[in-house]
Amino acid sequence: MFFIPGFVIAIATFPGVIIHEAAHLFFCKRFGLRVFDVCFFRLGNPAGYVIHEQTQDFRAMFFVGMGPFLINTLLCMVFCTAAFLPVWELKVDDIFAYFFYWLGLSIGMHAFPSTTDLSNLWADAPDRAKKGNLLAIISLPLVVVLYILNFARVVWADLGYGIAVGILGPIALFKVLARA
Amino acid sequence: MREGTCQGCGQTAPIQSFYKIKGNLYCEPCSWKEERAAQERGETLEKTSVVDGSVCARCGTSAADAGIADFPAVNGIPLCPPCQQHIQDWPYPSWLKISLAALLLLLVIALVHSRSYFRAGRMMYRGEHLMEGGKYQEAIPLLKQADEAAPQSDKAALLLAKAALHIGDLETAQRALQSHQAGHFEVTEEFTEVKSLWNRATGALEKAVKARELANQPGHADEAEALIRQAAQEYPEMPQLAAAVPYFQGGAAFEHKDYDRFVQIAESVWRQYPQSGGAAATLAGALACKYAVTGDANYRQQAEDMLEKAHQLSQGDKQAEQSYQEYSERLQYRISTREIIDKQEYDRRFRDGKETK
Repeated sequence: MFFIPGFVIAIATFPGVIIHEAAHLFFCKRFGLRVFDVCFFRLGNPAGYVIHEQTQDFRAMFFVGMGPFLINTLLCMVFCTAAFLPVWELKVDDIFAYFFYWLGLSIGMHAFPSTTDLSNLWADAPDRAKKGNLLAIISLPLVVVLYILNFARVVWADLGYGIAVGILGPIALFKVLARA
Repeated sequence: MREGTCQGCGQTAPIQSFYKIKGNLYCEPCSWKEERAAQERGETLEKTSVVDGSVCARCGTSAADAGIADFPAVNGIPLCPPCQQHIQDWPYPSWLKISLAALLLLLVIALVHSRSYFRAGRMMYRGEHLMEGGKYQEAIPLLKQADEAAPQSDKAALLLAKAALHIGDLETAQRALQSHQAGHFEVTEEFTEVKSLWNRATGALEKAVKARELANQPGHADEAEALIRQAAQEYPEMPQLAAAVPYFQGGAAFEHKDYDRFVQIAESVWRQYPQSGGAAATLAGALACKYAVTGDANYRQQAEDMLEKAHQLSQGDKQAEQSYQEYSERLQYRISTREIIDKQEYDRRFRDGKETK
């Protein structure tokens, strides 16, 4: 496994960082949370952040924490879907397709929520889940998986996730469409 | 901006740089000393940052300028009214709005740009799906379109070739394989599967060609029949091979002068293919043989009727018409002379030994 400095990865995949933070901000605003500071991109660790007030509303907590995961995954899938056929299946040399694939993968690579967001959810989810909160029930296994994947970033789990979404997503989509 | 004095070192500084410990103000270094001392005593200290309510924590505006002593604290942070408004509804920066609009535009461009690929992909996946259900014939037109739209795609070419080979359409399979990057493919599981199918099909076809050659040589009808049977067994996907077997059986029966069997086989073929001029001609030939050996006028009549049917069925098909010209002459000879000779002998006697098709 080779090592590439974080800032190099951040530069190479900057659209994903910006969209990740924009998604955080969007859901903070959507749920009326006060935002104290926002950084959409920087050459540091983390490459971006949104500092917002804490909330007791689990729905808000879930979407603010998981929002980037959902939005980045969706955008990754859409851009990669547009590029998947020419790049992987039809083998067409189309520079636009490669550009869209880079964009999709950049976005998909930054889908994982931070460990802070996951910890916040993890702290509240069990109690809420016991009370039958559906989002809390969903978030429990999701948080566990994402926590592990977050640590597995050192072995390129984030890139692996982007590739998986960018390849398996379109394949599944086209297979479903073929049956329609 | 309010100032305070450190309880430890007496330093005077802006109050917001101090910490409050047990109600007293300490600068940062002195607050560490207090913490260490408390640790040594086994105590835990409550240490909090001092907030200067007279200054906005975000923009540094003085509360005095606004005519008040302290700004109201939000989550413990003193903020002036504009900053309160700002954090309450943090605006999206203009560059972000423009970037997101550009991203959406890119998304639309990406989708529009990929329209032709989607079409080709849809054809390919739809074709693949049909193939999974064994509907190879239906899959071929879709896969042809996909292959034309993406001539560099191994998958499109291999799927088309595979579908074609599964229905015995070697011509389409050959075109798909040879027109694809000069026949070069990445060696994958799909490629290996198609290659094995292709080898099986071409092997069977070679046997069929050899069987036809043998059938045209006197004394080899049994060998030809055995060979065509092998070909049909090896490549059952090509129905023409199985359909050819009875013709070869008929040829063998003719060679063994077993004309009853010849008629039986020819009738069975005719029942199976009532629109085939070839089947009608074979039955006419068999009946003509029966007439030749029995002299029964019924056989003659039936042979002539079948020959007429063969003539009708060959109309409009140039190759069938040519073929009719060739065999009708021989059969008329067989009927009029009641002499049974094979094609080679007929050619030798009446066509200057030139072979005709």
